[in-house]
Amino acid sequence: MTKKVHEDQRYVIALLNNDVALVNEIYKKCAAKVKSFVLFNNGSVDDAADIFQEALIDIYNQAKYKDLQLSCPFEPFLLLVCKRKWLNELKKKSIIPVTKTEDDLLHIGEDTFEQADLLAQQKEQADLFLKAFEKLGERCREIIRWSMQGDAQEKVADALGVTYGYLRKKKSECMASLMKLIKKNHD
Amino acid sequence: MTEDKILWVARYVEGELSETAHADFEKHLLSDMELQEYLKEYREVHQGLRIHLAVDEGRKALEKTLSGFNKSHFAETGPKVMTFRSYLKWVSGVAAVLIIGLLVWAPWRGNLYRQFAVADQMWVVERGAAEETSLDKAAALYNEKKYTEAEPILSALYAKDPQNAMLAYYYGSSLLEIGTLGKGREVLRTLFNGESVYKYNSAYVIALSYLKEKDKENCRKWLKLIPEGTSHSVKAKQLLDKL
Repeated sequence: MTKKVHEDQRYVIALLNNDVALVNEIYKKCAAKVKSFVLFNNGSVDDAADIFQEALIDIYNQAKYKDLQLSCPFEPFLLLVCKRKWLNELKKKSIIPVTKTEDDLLHIGEDTFEQADLLAQQKEQADLFLKAFEKLGERCREIIRWSMQGDAQEKVADALGVTYGYLRKKKSECMASLMKLIKKNHD
Repeated sequence: MTEDKILWVARYVEGELSETAHADFEKHLLSDMELQEYLKEYREVHQGLRIHLAVDEGRKALEKTLSGFNKSHFAETGPKVMTFRSYLKWVSGVAAVLIIGLLVWAPWRGNLYRQFAVADQMWVVERGAAEETSLDKAAALYNEKKYTEAEPILSALYAKDPQNAMLAYYYGSSLLEIGTLGKGREVLRTLFNGESVYKYNSAYVIALSYLKEKDKENCRKWLKLIPEGTSHSVKAKQLLDKL
């Protein structure tokens, strides 16, 4: 990405490092706004809290596994992500919001929309990958699951009762099967 | 061939290729667009799956932090939207106290209009550190009696949601305040003809708008439409007696 990283990347890093003081700052800045938005749109305080937490975890995931580089300010980005999440929830419940919901967001830069789109897209993609993964045979699922847990691969081989060489070979085959499955679903 | 390439990519990434096979792969990679594409996809799938499958201690710790903050920042005792009914109870309660207070005290010496004009306060939510919507903004302006500034916002909101009795009432009242009497009365008349809780409030402010023009006949006509026991009935009766 050629875009300049926004100084608010520090909030993203705060999520990665579980920096309690900065995370509290995020809540102070944004929680009331999300709460107000959800309450105005047929939701409860609990709904607002769930949406807020989910959004922050999504951002964490994107930062950790997809190298999120924030190119816009954090606050409007988080608010946009929360709003869209809540509107999706309403859609699921077939409650169609009466007012146009992004009216008040017109002052938000293009960058923020792009950033929120990317987050949503990557989350959706990860969910699709998981669905395909669940269709694999049991042994492949076991091997992939273990090898992705984050332990050293030698340890994983031990745990599975196979040699390290066999684990690598099997993982390559299973991952290739998964890729083909995803491609097949995609076509 | 395509499928072999996918497996080839997997074996490359997983470090399964021998040193020469590894170098061979990288040589092909420079010119083989398909191979480049598979490598990119492989990495995407790998990372995407890790989001779900990795045992992530950092994420667990963060979740714990977030749950703690959720309790303090999303407490039920925070700002909450009042239901229409409780809003009304509250407003009519305050209005009743104000009216009775004013009637007992009655310190005024001004003209009849000033004596009987209502100083409605437009409350949208109980205030907390809520995000300011255009409705909030309009309410704030209305409450500061900046009707000229409140009117265009209310006008836009009313256009979107003409069935909203609260919006209609404050939009109509703003129009009357800024002297756009015809339009203001029309909005309020529609409200009066409906069955909303603003029915008789509308009649009262329409009556007052005639009083402002010194059109006593129309003022009386509208005041008489306000039955006893409704929010402005005491004031309406007082005014009728004075006219």
